Amino acid sequence: MRTSSKNVLAGYHWMAAPAMVFTIGMIGFPIGYAIWLSLSNVPPGGDPVFIGLENYARLVKDPEFWNALKLTVSLYAMSLSMQLVLGTWLGLLLGRSRAAQGLTRVILVSPFMLPPVVVGMMAIVILDPSFGIANWLLAQIGLPPGLWLSDPKTVLFTFAVLDTWQWTPFVALIVMGGYLSLPAEVFEAVELDGATSFQRFWHVTLPLLGPTLVTAAVLRSVDILRFFDVIYLTTQGGPGNSSTTLNILAYRRGFEFFDFGYASAIMITLSAVVFGSVLIFSKLRAAVAW
Amino acid sequence: MKIKYVLGAAALSVALSAPVAAQTFNWRAHEGQTINLMLNNHPWSQAMRDLAAEFTAKTGIKTQIEIFNEEQFRARLTTLMQGKSADLDVYMSLTSREGAIFEKAGWYADLAPLIADKTMTMPDFNYEDFSASIRAASTFGTKIVALPINQEGPLFYWRKDIFEKCKVAEPKAIEDLPDTAKALKACDASMGVWAARGLRGAIPYSLTAFINNQGGSYATPDGKPGLSQPNTLKGLALYASLLKDYGPPGALNHTFTQVIELLGQGRIAMTHESSNEFANIMRFPGRAQDLGVKVLPPGRETKISKPVAIGWTVTMSPNSQRKPASWYFLQWATSREIQAKLIANGVAPPRASVFEGQEFNKWIAEMPIRKAWADSLIEIGKTGTGVYQSPTERVPEARDIIGTAVQEIVQGASPADAARKADEALAKLQ
Repeated sequence: MRTSSKNVLAGYHWMAAPAMVFTIGMIGFPIGYAIWLSLSNVPPGGDPVFIGLENYARLVKDPEFWNALKLTVSLYAMSLSMQLVLGTWLGLLLGRSRAAQGLTRVILVSPFMLPPVVVGMMAIVILDPSFGIANWLLAQIGLPPGLWLSDPKTVLFTFAVLDTWQWTPFVALIVMGGYLSLPAEVFEAVELDGATSFQRFWHVTLPLLGPTLVTAAVLRSVDILRFFDVIYLTTQGGPGNSSTTLNILAYRRGFEFFDFGYASAIMITLSAVVFGSVLIFSKLRAAVAW
Repeated sequence: MKIKYVLGAAALSVALSAPVAAQTFNWRAHEGQTINLMLNNHPWSQAMRDLAAEFTAKTGIKTQIEIFNEEQFRARLTTLMQGKSADLDVYMSLTSREGAIFEKAGWYADLAPLIADKTMTMPDFNYEDFSASIRAASTFGTKIVALPINQEGPLFYWRKDIFEKCKVAEPKAIEDLPDTAKALKACDASMGVWAARGLRGAIPYSLTAFINNQGGSYATPDGKPGLSQPNTLKGLALYASLLKDYGPPGALNHTFTQVIELLGQGRIAMTHESSNEFANIMRFPGRAQDLGVKVLPPGRETKISKPVAIGWTVTMSPNSQRKPASWYFLQWATSREIQAKLIANGVAPPRASVFEGQEFNKWIAEMPIRKAWADSLIEIGKTGTGVYQSPTERVPEARDIIGTAVQEIVQGASPADAARKADEALAKLQ
């Protein structure tokens, strides 16, 4: 009488329980607590008092929330599209060029190794219109100075460019990895058929890279939607509210204005946006799979 | 019999002296403990880090000091206090800003019983040595929530050499500032003329004198938000126009760090910035010789001069498990002896005996600008106010709204529209 290996394994499932409990505790408790806070009024120094959906009702009527949501989505759209386009271009370049290997790759990796605080400090040193070297460089080549992070019209785009500078190499490395793993015979066949470079890229490379690009998009989406440190260090959400994204709004409400319940409601909403974007990309990944 | 008499006398003497011994203050009573301090980045904190070894040598109490920039300091402090952390013993607080909220939240320990306890407080501590207005800012009812560590307020700094070179007179009234700025700009277009705080939450500190001196107020006579009052509008418009027309590029993201850097590097001719930054400004070469410092000029018609005058304090967490040792640090750090040492770091002493004392007077006599700075501090101590927002307990939020109104005017909104919008938002905080 032999016991099948499946049954043997099933008998040991309980051994995974500690790990499961630990994982659920580590992830589930903070999220559950944040949800509880978002449903409560939390006075400074006091305990949470359950108020149902009051904080969410307040959120819907708050123009600052809608402005922050709009800014978060705008920053997300600008950053992600620039990073995917530039990352794909750079990734293919790296994948095809023997010269761009070794040290070049190491150098490319360096921006995303930098802590956000360092990037924020660099932004202050480089982009401050009074102290920064960016305007000095522009003046050397006869271009007018920019206000960068000090102008409500340019502040969000400047943040998108900063994030793109830091994270495009990351996307490029993912794309390069995906490109190098593609079947060579497909490209040989296309070449034999006499396709132009653009046709080869548009009809073969890009569709084949679809799943890779979606993976890169998922990873970057989560990060971009949580973009906080650099904004906080440089503008603190200003000028006015022109860079007050949901993260900044929640931080200010919670830590500067002691409105912890409302700040939690904002963060739970932002988390829902993050989960939503991941969900959409997961569906998309299935659609572009080959 | 004689032995009995001697023993009896000795016993009586011990019995009589026991209460006396119990009432004796002993600096080493809490030797061996370690207290945790969280401080805001400030000249006082930097000095404390250097002086803490003296405290340990005197008391045997060790200190672990963490210093953060103001925003990070506030965030961490809020988290620890909300979480009722027992790890934090001593922290800095700006009672004029967060005092009401912190007191309501129960985040301050009551220092009054400790001050009154002769076994816990050194005999020459003399709490009354702090001026009445400074004490009042940290007193809620009978509860003393913190001890003052400095006094400060915004002052008008100007480059005397540039004024002289351009033959421009030093402004005597606040209304002279635009013409002064215009004349300086006409004299040297490459020179920065003016800088002041443009970051929204930081604006009210330097804005307030512009409003008060022109007869304005943040509140109406019946206690409602009053930015739309005619004289208050004048103050808002003047502050914003100086920033817009003569301020440095990017001014809306500037706070004292950038303003002091511009002044120190010699890139601007005038500013209205904290007295507290005096020592930092003096570190820049040449500034001790070419700068002038005084209280912002009064209104021409009103003759009012009413700048902000506040002081940072140091306090104790009610959740501290080492309250006696923490109290020892508080009284040592705010003692006459230590405040006299802090003068060299440019920390304006809040104790009258130190301010009027020999050490301070010797120090200010060394340079004319130090004398001007000290005179300005005496003046703002008499005329200044610790209130720089419309009536509300939600002070940080109110100051943020006022700063946003100024930013909007700088960006082109009409002062009346920006003020009306701000008044509506401020009314919701009442």
